[in-house]
Amino acid sequence: MFTGTIIYALINSVILTLIAIGFNLTFGISGVANFAYGAFYILSAYSTWIMMHSFHLPYFVSVMISIILTMALGALMYQLVLKRVRGQAISEVIATFGIGLAILELFRYLGFVGFEYNLPPFIDSSYMILGTYVDMQRILIVVLGVIIVVLLWLFTHNTSLGLAFRGIAQDERTALTFGIDSDKIATLAVALGAGFAAIAASIIIPLGSIFPSEGYDVLIKALAVCIIGGLGSTGGVIVASFLIGFAERFTDSYIGSHWTMIVSLAAILIVLVVKPSGLFGKQKELEERI
Amino acid sequence: MLEVKELMVFFENALAVNGLNLTVNKGEIVGIIGSNSAGKTTLMNTLSGLIIDMQIKEKRRGGERISVYGKVLYKNEDITYLKPEERVKMGIVLSRERHPIFPESSVLENMKIAGYLRTRKEIKKTMQYVFELFPALIKLKKRKAGFLSGGEQQMLAIGMALIVQPELLLLDEPLLGLSPIMQKSVVDAIKALNKSSGITVILSEQFARPVLPMIDKGYVVENGMLSLSGTGEELMNNPEIKAAYFGV
Repeated sequence: MFTGTIIYALINSVILTLIAIGFNLTFGISGVANFAYGAFYILSAYSTWIMMHSFHLPYFVSVMISIILTMALGALMYQLVLKRVRGQAISEVIATFGIGLAILELFRYLGFVGFEYNLPPFIDSSYMILGTYVDMQRILIVVLGVIIVVLLWLFTHNTSLGLAFRGIAQDERTALTFGIDSDKIATLAVALGAGFAAIAASIIIPLGSIFPSEGYDVLIKALAVCIIGGLGSTGGVIVASFLIGFAERFTDSYIGSHWTMIVSLAAILIVLVVKPSGLFGKQKELEERI
Repeated sequence: MLEVKELMVFFENALAVNGLNLTVNKGEIVGIIGSNSAGKTTLMNTLSGLIIDMQIKEKRRGGERISVYGKVLYKNEDITYLKPEERVKMGIVLSRERHPIFPESSVLENMKIAGYLRTRKEIKKTMQYVFELFPALIKLKKRKAGFLSGGEQQMLAIGMALIVQPELLLLDEPLLGLSPIMQKSVVDAIKALNKSSGITVILSEQFARPVLPMIDKGYVVENGMLSLSGTGEELMNNPEIKAAYFGV
């Protein structure tokens, strides 16, 4: 049971990383807290489902189109709505949360609820790892999670666009003096964040079904991870994902599954009391002190 | 190269720059001398276009109203209302006041970020030049820029502006907060980069003493208005300047 718990805790942690990384990316670069993040996650899953079942497109084509569509929607949301309220945190949260609410409740209203709304696993098989059955989809999640984190690191450290992302994240006005267009970068950041939500959805949703309420769950999980890790810090996201991921699985195995949701919320509370800027929010901590 | 005609900048109803006229020729080092709140930074932001970005962003959120009147001509082209990135592409690069660097990135990464508009090859080549100009930066390559001293950050800031390969370099208070030794090495570097690569430089400064000997032309600004102008030497021998800036 112990090794099984560890294996599933690891998978759970990677799932959390995948869920949170897009939210964190958008916030870290453009300063926009995208509360429509969970809605984007669900939207991309539904759009994949609709393309597969109404237009009879192949699975992987549908996934690719969904990811691109979600990114376009993110860019559109920035250009039409967020641009006007940027820098005013509360307006951003209300605007994005409103958009998210509208998307999720629209799907509920249209009757997209039920177990028939699901996505097939990429490869349907399972393996025995150290005495525990693990299905192929969960193994793929771990592999893709690692690949995505590595690709993101390479992107932000080696390409001029990625470096511009980091420049804007640190000091927008200085970045402007080097010819980096802040609106363009922010649009891309929101789009890329939405794209990560879509990627996460396409890999994770096959484990269960698509429910509008899942959108709120995903948002809360992303928020929990980002707050604990320190908003805007990729390293923090990974560490926090593992903290929550392991804590959840161990609570589930040794205390009771109905306590798991409380773990992440309690973790937020404790971190906010002890270290308000999160475990890795160093620079902001310094600013707070000053 | 650059001509400023009757420039006026308002923040709401407060006048920050008032009827300013400047002429800068190619290859010159021009000094803008003035005390705190004289309008130096506003002038630099107006020349680099940052003010236009501020204007757009303030307008979007319904904040402060910023208005710019008059004309800024660069190579006989009207650039008064161009955005900063368009001006950077034309070769006007500003290094903002208080050592603008990206504190969480290493020195090398800072320069790579600054080279957004340049190719990898160009960045590498200019980086070589920056290291020749500021040898102190060589052994700090890998260090996070936030951990550098003020002087080192200022060298890096100037280096980053050079990576963009400017034709007109705007330096906003490059000597602010530096020790006299650091001030001297920064002044020497500015002279060297002007001489060796022919970059035209406009720098604003409060400390007239280290700046006046190196400039071809100086403008003294008070309360947003031009109060005096002349060559560096003329200004140095001016009794008013002596009294106000040298304390003699």
